[in-house]
Amino acid sequence: MSIEDEMRQFVEEWDKEGLKEMCKSLIDKGKASPEELLKFIGNIMKFIGEQFENEEIFLPDLIGAADTVKDTIDEILDPAIRKSGGEKETLGKVIIGTVESDVHSIGKDLVGSFLFANGFEVFNLGVEVTADEFISKAEEVGAQVIGLSSLLTMSMDFQRQVIEELKNRGLRDKYIVIVGGAPTSEDWAEQIGADGWADDAIEAVELINNLITK
Amino acid sequence: MRLKHIEVFSKDEIQEIHSASIQLLTDVGMKIDAQDARNLLKENGAEVDTESKFVKFPEALIREKLKTVPDHFRLHGPDGHFNFEVNTKDTIFATIGTPVKIYDPLQKKGIRKTLFSDTIQQIKIVDSLENILCSHIDVWPNDISYITIHVHCIYQWAKNTRKPYGLGCLGKLASTDMMKMTSMIVGGETELIKRPRLVGFMNPTSPLHLPVIMTNGFAVFTKYKQPTIIAPEALAGSSAPVTLAGLITQTNAEILGSIILSQIYNPGAPVFYGTVSHITDMRTGNSAMGSPEMGLITAGIAQLARYYNIPSRGPGGGTDSKILDMQNGIERLQTLMLAAQAGVNYITCAGTYEATLVEALELLVIDDELAGMVQRAIEGITVNDDTIGLDVIKKVATSEKEGVNFLAERHTRDHMKSELYFPKLLDRNRRTTWYKKGAKDIITRAREKVDQILIAHKPNELLKDLDNKLLKFIKIVESRTFDDYKKAEGLMASKITLPDGIEIKENDK
Repeated sequence: MSIEDEMRQFVEEWDKEGLKEMCKSLIDKGKASPEELLKFIGNIMKFIGEQFENEEIFLPDLIGAADTVKDTIDEILDPAIRKSGGEKETLGKVIIGTVESDVHSIGKDLVGSFLFANGFEVFNLGVEVTADEFISKAEEVGAQVIGLSSLLTMSMDFQRQVIEELKNRGLRDKYIVIVGGAPTSEDWAEQIGADGWADDAIEAVELINNLITK
Repeated sequence: MRLKHIEVFSKDEIQEIHSASIQLLTDVGMKIDAQDARNLLKENGAEVDTESKFVKFPEALIREKLKTVPDHFRLHGPDGHFNFEVNTKDTIFATIGTPVKIYDPLQKKGIRKTLFSDTIQQIKIVDSLENILCSHIDVWPNDISYITIHVHCIYQWAKNTRKPYGLGCLGKLASTDMMKMTSMIVGGETELIKRPRLVGFMNPTSPLHLPVIMTNGFAVFTKYKQPTIIAPEALAGSSAPVTLAGLITQTNAEILGSIILSQIYNPGAPVFYGTVSHITDMRTGNSAMGSPEMGLITAGIAQLARYYNIPSRGPGGGTDSKILDMQNGIERLQTLMLAAQAGVNYITCAGTYEATLVEALELLVIDDELAGMVQRAIEGITVNDDTIGLDVIKKVATSEKEGVNFLAERHTRDHMKSELYFPKLLDRNRRTTWYKKGAKDIITRAREKVDQILIAHKPNELLKDLDNKLLKFIKIVESRTFDDYKKAEGLMASKITLPDGIEIKENDK
């Protein structure tokens, strides 16, 4: 069985410890570089993503797999790459969070998992995130995208406030800002001057892919 | 626990109906046209009036014969591999209905006459469905002779499905053909009797009448121990009292009388205690199959079947709608859900509308999905430490990591398939995705599924020798005349010899 196949088994079994130990031991013994292992993980997540799109597996299978590889990347591969002076390759860095006065998290978390599964680096700031917290984090990590979630008609306006705050700080053009959440719409995104809107997590990945490559 | 059955009768009321039905059977009896059946009943102690053809059933005979009725049996597909148990606890979904027209959006009226090619397609589709386990001769082929339909259908059944099949008890001659032909397919009569393949439907004519052709066929089915569905189609207000209790009392007598006869023909012969009874619409005189009263009658019959400990059959998914509209959806789910909640063990009529006169293959695949949903609903909620899941609740609720919810928990993965029903045709996408996928309504999606099934369907391979034998058998049946048929059923005095030399004796009705 190839290294990639063996890794895939751990991912499909959601065996976080097994995957971590395997990767650590391969790196320690010099049998594989962390960059190579990261590439394998990319392939595995692509494979699982395709299975999901073909309706062969369900949401928990995909999210659980993403959750499993995340630990290995964060705890084993990322530190190893940094140690050798490099930086891991991703499709881009995305800040996501639910805006102020709103505590709904699952839709936004799904977007985070889908983005991660598709090769983005995701900084999930949680719920009730202020404009300042969004912008500070984006500046700190050098993000390209800020994703603003809102599930309440009452909290929607805080999406606008993040955009206004970016303008105040002269940073609006530096970031792609996208919005989402059940009460939002394409019209709403346009109205508040966001760069895009997506209806669900799958759409969000496609949207960001399109906006980043523009 | 499983959903509790809807009960329409108290224990006392059940007893009251039972006693009234027994009184009908002992005092009035049933009019039985077939003389050999009357003779047999007479030999078993029944009182026969030769003039009126009414047979009165002594209570002791009823009690004794009910003892041999099985409370469970299995049905098998042609090769015997696919099989399921029919019992007094589980719910099984099947077809039946004999529609004579089929949905065809290209026609001006939206329907056209059914053809044999439709009959074959229906068999193939049921073969591919998940929740509908048996097809019956549903789509009545208008383009082949009435007296040969059964052999053509059995041939196509053998070729196109893994599942059992059902046909009407269409007389002595046709039913014997069915047994002979099916025996060839399954490897002999012993095998057929041991592991039944065919369901026969037998409809007493309300009120209290067993017609000759059906009774003749019924005798053959029970002789071969192929399960029979005894299901009067009494209509409240026209062929039965308008009061539902009256209708149920009368049909109970009709069903019990038929069951007694089945056990005299062959003790232990499997039967379904059934109904397709509903009401007469008091404005038009038409039957109303989508009515709530039909659900109540079905529930009452299911409850009586449990009282006698016999598997029950009832219709579900019935509708009077003429098109694939909201009425169609409302009535189909209402009658299906009621039948399931009532604890009917064998729910039929998938794929039909306009009171089972019309078939839509689109509805057939939709009904498969409805059956899955209904099956899930009646399973109820399983309660144990694992399903309560205290550990996982604590874990997720107290997690300090961002993005932690139940979706990525092993508990979800382990239980999702047993806890949740996964619809395939019902759309749960967000609007954008639904648009992207063509903004299709459910009928369009169902049509696509029908097309996919028909393209992907692979026929069974029949051995050349068997195939030749079956085709030869069909040829012989095709060479018969309508008079031959009538002679065999005793409708014309004479004799007829079947292809394999079995002689059917003169029946001087």
